[in-house]
Amino acid sequence: MMFNISAMLEEIKASPYEEIAVRAPHSGFATFPDGLAPGAAVSGPAGEFREKPGTLLACIERERNPRAVTCPERGEIVAVHRELHGSFVEAGTELVRFRHFLSRGEVEARILKKALHLFLAPERARYYFIPAQDIKIKTAGPRSVSVREGDELFIMSRMKRETPLRYSGPEGILYAVYFSHAADVDARDPLIGVCPPDLVEQVEEVVVRVRTEWKEKF
Amino acid sequence: MSGKQHRILIANRGEIAVRIIRACRALDLDFVCVYTVEDAESGHAHAAAEAGPEKRLYRVSSYHDANELLAVADAAGATAVHPGYGFFAEDYRFARRVRQRGRSLDFIGPSWEVIRALGDKINTKRLARSLGVPTVPGSDKPIYDEMEAEKFARTIYEFQLQQGIERPVILVKASAGGGGMGIEEVHDIDLFRSVFRRIRNYASRQFKDEGVLIEQRIRDFNHLEVQILAERGAGRIVHFGTRNCSIQSTGLQKRLEVAPGFDPSAVRYRFDAAALLAKVTEHSLAMAREVRYDNIGTWEWIVSRDGAPFLMEVNTRIQVENGVSAAVSRIRGKDGTDLIAEQIRTALGEELGYDQDDIGFEGVGIEYRIIAEDPDRNFTPWVGRIETFRPPERDWLSVYTHVPSDRPYDIPTEFDPNLALAIIRGRDLEEAEARGREFLDALVLEGTSPSGDKIRSNVAFLRSMTEHILMF
Amino acid sequence: METEKQVQRLNERLTYIRDIFAGKDSGHIRLLDAKTADYAQRAPGLNARERRALALALEDLFADVENKLEADLTPMDKVRIVRHPQRFCLRDILENVYDGYTEIGSMDDHSIDPAMVIARGFITRRRGKRVTNQSVMIVGHEKGRGEEFRNGGSAKPWGNAKALHYMKVAETENIPVHAYVFTPGSYPIEDTPGAAQQIAANIYGMASLRVPVIAVISEGGSGGAEAVALADRRLMFSHGYYSVISPEGAAAIEGKPGPGGRVPAELVEQCALRMKITAEDNLRMGYVDQIIPEPDLGARPYHYDFFRGLRRELLRVTDEVSISVRGLPLFRALRLRGRRRSAAAGRDFESSYVRWNLPPSAQMRLVSRRHLKFRGLSLSAALDRTPLSRRIASVWQEACWIIYSRFRHDMLQKRRQKVSEYMEEVKSDWTLFFERALTPLRKLAAWFGRASERMSVETVRTLTELSEWNDTQENQRGGRWAYISAGAGEDRAVSCPNAGIHGCLDQWAPDLYGEFAGVCPNCGHHFPMEYQWYLHNVFDAGSLVEFAADVEAGNPLGMEDFGAKLEASRKRTGHKSACMVFEARIKGVRLVVAMLMADFRGGTVGAAEGEKFIRAAERAGRMRFPFFAYVHGTAGIRIQEGTNGLIQMPRCTMAVRRYIDAGGLYIVCYDTNSYAGPVASFLGCSPYQFGIRSANVGFAGPAVIAETTGLPVPPHYHNVYKALARGHIQGIWDRRELRFNLSRALLTMGGRNLYYR
Repeated sequence: MMFNISAMLEEIKASPYEEIAVRAPHSGFATFPDGLAPGAAVSGPAGEFREKPGTLLACIERERNPRAVTCPERGEIVAVHRELHGSFVEAGTELVRFRHFLSRGEVEARILKKALHLFLAPERARYYFIPAQDIKIKTAGPRSVSVREGDELFIMSRMKRETPLRYSGPEGILYAVYFSHAADVDARDPLIGVCPPDLVEQVEEVVVRVRTEWKEKF
Repeated sequence: MSGKQHRILIANRGEIAVRIIRACRALDLDFVCVYTVEDAESGHAHAAAEAGPEKRLYRVSSYHDANELLAVADAAGATAVHPGYGFFAEDYRFARRVRQRGRSLDFIGPSWEVIRALGDKINTKRLARSLGVPTVPGSDKPIYDEMEAEKFARTIYEFQLQQGIERPVILVKASAGGGGMGIEEVHDIDLFRSVFRRIRNYASRQFKDEGVLIEQRIRDFNHLEVQILAERGAGRIVHFGTRNCSIQSTGLQKRLEVAPGFDPSAVRYRFDAAALLAKVTEHSLAMAREVRYDNIGTWEWIVSRDGAPFLMEVNTRIQVENGVSAAVSRIRGKDGTDLIAEQIRTALGEELGYDQDDIGFEGVGIEYRIIAEDPDRNFTPWVGRIETFRPPERDWLSVYTHVPSDRPYDIPTEFDPNLALAIIRGRDLEEAEARGREFLDALVLEGTSPSGDKIRSNVAFLRSMTEHILMF
Repeated sequence: METEKQVQRLNERLTYIRDIFAGKDSGHIRLLDAKTADYAQRAPGLNARERRALALALEDLFADVENKLEADLTPMDKVRIVRHPQRFCLRDILENVYDGYTEIGSMDDHSIDPAMVIARGFITRRRGKRVTNQSVMIVGHEKGRGEEFRNGGSAKPWGNAKALHYMKVAETENIPVHAYVFTPGSYPIEDTPGAAQQIAANIYGMASLRVPVIAVISEGGSGGAEAVALADRRLMFSHGYYSVISPEGAAAIEGKPGPGGRVPAELVEQCALRMKITAEDNLRMGYVDQIIPEPDLGARPYHYDFFRGLRRELLRVTDEVSISVRGLPLFRALRLRGRRRSAAAGRDFESSYVRWNLPPSAQMRLVSRRHLKFRGLSLSAALDRTPLSRRIASVWQEACWIIYSRFRHDMLQKRRQKVSEYMEEVKSDWTLFFERALTPLRKLAAWFGRASERMSVETVRTLTELSEWNDTQENQRGGRWAYISAGAGEDRAVSCPNAGIHGCLDQWAPDLYGEFAGVCPNCGHHFPMEYQWYLHNVFDAGSLVEFAADVEAGNPLGMEDFGAKLEASRKRTGHKSACMVFEARIKGVRLVVAMLMADFRGGTVGAAEGEKFIRAAERAGRMRFPFFAYVHGTAGIRIQEGTNGLIQMPRCTMAVRRYIDAGGLYIVCYDTNSYAGPVASFLGCSPYQFGIRSANVGFAGPAVIAETTGLPVPPHYHNVYKALARGHIQGIWDRRELRFNLSRALLTMGGRNLYYR
């Protein structure tokens, strides 16, 4: 597998952010805080335990219960749909759009996603690691796990039924995990990134390059 | 019915939402639908969007969130809520909230008091016993004490021996449980205590109520249902006959229903089936009268091999299988029975307009639930894209589905993979069975999963089951 | 060289004065400043004699000025004295008061907790030619002049545990304990064993320590002080302070500066004054027995006369405590009187000898006197508005109960118990014998009988017909509660705080506060509920009988505005204090309950609350009922009452100790938020403490911990699950199951010897 790290870095540098749309988590009447306008800087959850919520983006009142919509990441506001102020919004309506400038770790993950061998979800479902591996990953990190063709690695949970799932692909170290047990994974979305031994060098180069070349904004 | 002053929020999805829309149209009532992101392509969403220029379709975050539904109800100016089945259909708190909230709505279903009274297993059983309605032998109140429980279990054990049951089985279940949770069978009476303790601990953890029920396990039973309809304010109460729902997948999920419940004209039974059906119907009506039942509902019974009926539970809602009862009943002066329309009508306060004598029964109905699942693999749901769903067109057949016929449909993973409901009518059992087979053979169902596998469905299973209908 | 030293010493003395009067402008200080500078300049040019003369003059001046300044000392100045690095510390006392000592378990910073020092010391007494070394166990905080690892004398839980351990060792060795209090407060961490729980254990342990305990207070900061200061005699240095909270803390509460804000210095001064924290104040209120005078502006390590005086007083007091419980009552009184006379005459006790170890009977007397002493404290700080007639009636009632309980439980029960135990044994032997003999016969009978035996119609009916059911639990099935929270009246949805983690859906308030009893049906989060909910849904309907309702929370320190605030609380809640005590039944079992209500001044405990709690414990003991403390919420000791509040920690704990020692079952249940003093004493000492889910239990709140320790406090730090994991509480109960669990706890934990049905 060959790929061009420099080109990819350049490509990301050309647009060093991703646009994130903040949508109404549920229906209700939306209001926006004063002073929230395009260009404003927003922040995600902060504090040592991420206990402080992010910037207030909107408030949706449903059944006389106002609930705050806060910013999930730091970034810069691109658009505020003020025309919705005071009106009833359906669940999933876009409220605010902001630009999130990629951090070093995110850039690294992006490039690695192209470099690593990706094991894809066979079906739309929720996935878990089997308990034995889950403990390992939770305590020592994913890189403590090496996988081989045919290893029983996941549990696929769909419609309240759970089926074991075997890994197939080259042998290597589990380098990245792309799913969380809380959300569904679409079919053909990557579950994990595996780094075969012959790729280790290249992967490490990515890490070094990003570390030296990527300047974080903010 | 002064149609346009009512606006009904259909708080459900899929096939039942489609049927409710149809009923609303027939009654000339306005309606509003909700859908989630996964259901954007579902038939009910399309039907609502295409019903007219006015906004009738609202996206919600979840069908399970009452706040979401009520917020939409207010925003859309709905005056009533139809819960369908599942979700909020038997949730008396929802029914109560709908009624008692600041902006009160009509709940299309029984009053919340009735739902609460019949939603509780123990309460239902005690109510039945107080009226002399037969129930499964066993306790009718939660037992907390281990010694008392064991004594009781031994009595049930002896009781079964006495009836000539070779190997008695005792059911131990958490009194607050339901849906197969917290139930265990005891085959060896000496192991009773450990099972009791296990269930009690489970109940304490899970339901915050340590109470345990102990019952006889009835084996090889037939599952019988009585369809009831009552006016609001507990006026007239009528029934729409019986159904047999004994053919089920694993986990007691119904797959095929037949009306009437037994057919003595076609099958020889070891007991007087006609008398049994009459008795079961009479008991159900008596109970409905006692609780002042005031909407559509189903009394579920099990019938042992020797023809003894026991009341299981009452479903205070419209059901999937209502259609099959409607197919074999005829209300004088109306062409075709639509029980959902009858339900909505009565819930909105309209009088029934007919008596039991005006309801006639003819023929046999069979209902199939077409589901994407693999009967060979323990009925595992199949997920993928339906490319073609084309049922045959016959005048003895009705198909209800939310699967669009003109474009492919991705089965959402969040819900049960029910695809369609087919109701077949026949003059007698033989004809109905033959037509059923004809339908299943002619049905075109094609699809592929993301990994390229062909669709798995229960069509073949249903076909094989069609051979054994109403045998006992 | 000598000059330099002298200058340095004088400069230090000057710095000390300046520090103590923190920035307050004074001609005296300026004068000293000038004179010292002058001396430093002139001294090198003078000869030795002149220099000495000048130095003496200067020292005289210092003494003179210090004497003048002494008169101006404000309470806050005394606080600064006590905290000053130049003040004497425990090490100085060890060196100068005792004739020899061995430090136990510490060598500088090599210690489990350098803030707490334990030492075995002895005092040598000479009577003629006979020399006797009298041993004592010395326990105390070491502020350690400027040594950072000492943490300013702020003991960690394990430091307090060590102190308790060695007090128990002293008990085994039958030697007195000398406890020195030099602490600004306990170090507020919740790690095992947890500040609050450990202080509670200390107070509980010391309540009935069977050796004389003498406490000497220099800096008595709140719970940290109580952890070692429960004593038969409490002495206090004249320049010390003893308070429920630091003046800064009190000012922060009064002034409410908000996060990061600063409290003005004047307010702190005022608070120090109003809180009545000085030795004289505490002597007047009765919380210390005697003041040890210090030199002007407070003792420093070179004040050797002061240490001699301290030694004399310690000897005298330790002797007195021993004498007062030894021997025959008549002799005791005579001896004590004689000693007082000679003390007044200025004789010291170095040469007399009094045994400090006590025989068992004297130990009993010692402990019961200690209990009596604390029982009698702070009585005037609470207002008892009970009418005289009712008081007389209750005295009569109490007397009857005592006689009845004695008769029923102590005499009859014991006899009956013996007989029935014997009978049971005999019976079980017989049963065993018969079982063996009959088994084969039974089997045979069963084999024959099976076919013919028919079930009776009755039995079949129990399986198929409606049974009787009037269980009280039935009433609560499906959330039909006897009391519904006021929150259920609102037509609105409520979000669960755990929605982000557990995906809980919003609940409709009438459902949530009604049927669900304020519990999130998804994650089990408990929303706070009124205490009335518990009164009606936990205890048998109509079984509540309140008593001591007329004991009223007062304003013993005469704090400004506070009377009005109390009045407002009384009006709003309809209660006269934050503590409600009553008798109740639960499934027919009678018990005495003390409840702290968060609605009344945050559930804080002052003299009235303490008094009511003690009366409840005593009533439970008298009637042989189990005693249940339901803590609807408590923010701690009521700081506006100063030491009057603080003293409730030992007072109530001792009442609980008496109750438990007499065989009572004491159960505590925490709800919402329970912090500080009460948890660190009479609540935390219970062997059976339970938490209602979602409650917080701890010593200091997160803000205080962060400020004191500088460590970040993770979310949910005080949650009951954490408290359970740390071993602070013994279980977590769901609110809806409280009735059931409590009733079961009473039946399972209350055995024959624990509680009396």
